[in-house]
Amino acid sequence: MTGRDLLPIAAFAAVAATLPLFVTAGTWLNFAVFTLIICLAAQGWNILGGYGGQYSFGHAAFFGTAAYATAILQVRYGVNPYPAFAVGVAAAGVVGWVIGLLSFRSGLRGSYFALVTLAFAEVFRVLANASEWTGGAAGILIRLDVRPENFQFASRATFYWVALALVVAALVVTRALERSRLGAQLVAVRENENAARALGVDALGVKLAAIALSAMITGAAGALYAQYFLYLDANIAYGTWISVEALLAPIIGGAGTVFGPVFGGIVLHSLSEFTKTLVGRIPGLDLVIFGVLLILVVRFPPREIPGLLKLWRRR
Amino acid sequence: MTTAFTSSRRAVLLGAAAALAAPRIGGAQPAAVRLGILQPVTGALAQDGEYGRLGAELAIQEINATGGIRALGGAQIQMVFGDARSNPEGGTAEVERMNGEGVVAVVGGFASPICLAASQAASRYDLPYIVDVGVSDQIVTRGLRNTFRFGPGFGAVTRAALDNLVTLNNAAGRPARTVVVVHEDGLFGSGMARLMQNELPGRGFEILETISHPTPARDMSNIALRIRSLNPDLIIPSSYYAEFVLLSRTLQQRRIRPKGIYCVLNGAASNFRFVREFPDAANLVMDVNHWADPRKPKTAELRRAVEAQNRFWLYNTPLNYSAVMLVADALERAGRADRGAVIEALARTDGNFTRHIMPYGPTNFVNGQNQAGQAVNTQVIDNDIKVIFPADFADARPVFPWPNT
Repeated sequence: MTGRDLLPIAAFAAVAATLPLFVTAGTWLNFAVFTLIICLAAQGWNILGGYGGQYSFGHAAFFGTAAYATAILQVRYGVNPYPAFAVGVAAAGVVGWVIGLLSFRSGLRGSYFALVTLAFAEVFRVLANASEWTGGAAGILIRLDVRPENFQFASRATFYWVALALVVAALVVTRALERSRLGAQLVAVRENENAARALGVDALGVKLAAIALSAMITGAAGALYAQYFLYLDANIAYGTWISVEALLAPIIGGAGTVFGPVFGGIVLHSLSEFTKTLVGRIPGLDLVIFGVLLILVVRFPPREIPGLLKLWRRR
Repeated sequence: MTTAFTSSRRAVLLGAAAALAAPRIGGAQPAAVRLGILQPVTGALAQDGEYGRLGAELAIQEINATGGIRALGGAQIQMVFGDARSNPEGGTAEVERMNGEGVVAVVGGFASPICLAASQAASRYDLPYIVDVGVSDQIVTRGLRNTFRFGPGFGAVTRAALDNLVTLNNAAGRPARTVVVVHEDGLFGSGMARLMQNELPGRGFEILETISHPTPARDMSNIALRIRSLNPDLIIPSSYYAEFVLLSRTLQQRRIRPKGIYCVLNGAASNFRFVREFPDAANLVMDVNHWADPRKPKTAELRRAVEAQNRFWLYNTPLNYSAVMLVADALERAGRADRGAVIEALARTDGNFTRHIMPYGPTNFVNGQNQAGQAVNTQVIDNDIKVIFPADFADARPVFPWPNT
């Protein structure tokens, strides 16, 4: 990885970091933080789904595990949120590795793998909903104690910068992966697993490394969510909403590209916000318009939004 | 001379009166007070959210039609509505927007997760937040000075449910001694079942069996057959709407009639949709839940207004109506549309606040929780939902034990 590889990421970070200097309204900062959390989750999905070609429908399992681990360690064991955050991310990685081991060793690919990940996330959801350890259906509440050493900030701008730093870190990791041997092997597995194996690539090992890394990044988004909203229940942590958000953003923005998930996440959420302001008092109409726009966005570009730009440039 | 003097004095008086009135006539109406109404009107909780919004709308209409906030020169209340989209992020985002639009307080939330997240977001801006329904006890134990709940919490509801059951049973000559608890296997149902298991034996009831079912459940036949073989005096179900409707219909179809069905915070038993769609299955089912005070004339008036719109009379409407009235009352006492002053006024609310329609005693907030907030026992009688307990608020006598058993 050279300095030139990092230049676009540095440019993005520099531009994005100035946002709170211009936008001070809580509404927009809250919107920006939530969008960044989704972008982070989507970047995690992109490692496994975009580069590895293993489409997961159950990234909620990783998001939720890290979120719950962060919350439970703080609430039940009095651990400081920063180490709790790190443990949460690691726990998501372990869960990812185990799910990967169970499904990849059984030779599950394509839609079978997608269904198994969906099932895992659902199992986690049901368990979290029933267990007292997770607070069950009543959920778990992290105590409001706004101090920086407690990973709670009075200003939304500070939280925005923290979320941005994590997104940028994930971008750097993705770029490094792209330039690494592991990244090349991962792409080889995506394109033709049998051929890759014939060339001596350890397909299982590569996929396991990818799912663990992917889970850790999505897990970081989950832990960040817990720290931002300070409340979790099974449907938030392990609900299908986050699995869908995590895969939709890269698919729209460009799966298997460094900036795709961030681009897709921003486009999706801006679109959703735009439709919300477009309609007045009729509830749900914005969701209908958002759905229609989504269909148009997915239908018309040759592959995705960057693809559309390329096509436009060619003309 | 006299005439001239009189006319000039009249002119002076008129002039003075005109001068006094001028600021009112010449100056615009006092600035409207913006009030945030947060409800989930899309997503899984849309029905509840719509009924909550209706209650808030009716209260605001009434306040505006009767002269607005008098202490603010008759200022009108302007609703700033936010759709919480049935999730905490949606609630938080809307509170941020409402704060940007300068609301003086936020009312609503409905579900506990939304209330928890939204009230926390509001606390950043010292923005008063009045919970309408959310019963989680965590809502008012976080030390947030901006958060108030007019209605009762989970602990208060369940305590009342157990006490009222004993009173009801004793008053009827203790017809019920054996109980079967049917519950959904999530924390709500399991928690309630555990509470019943711990508390009921000490109160003279024998629990024959505790039967759990998943949510969603598609068939209740086995549970109904098990109940038939156990033949309990009382069934205590802790399930959500669809599952309870299914259970009660299955019991009815199989002609299983205990001496009573006693629900706590049930999704269906205090819901007119259930009563209208399945009147036979709903007949005589009892519930402990939020409900409006049937003795207050305003309750009947509000109910007529709701039913005139072809809507059901659900507890969300009176709870939100009352919460908006609470804010209006606080504004009157605060004398200014200032968030800090409204928080102070809300905390000092007392028995003089009578514009609500809930069956509560004199209002008294301790750490944001209204100590007078209580659930009541309801029973479906003659296709209507009646309050049967406490006696002070009841509009019907309990039918217990059920006839023909």
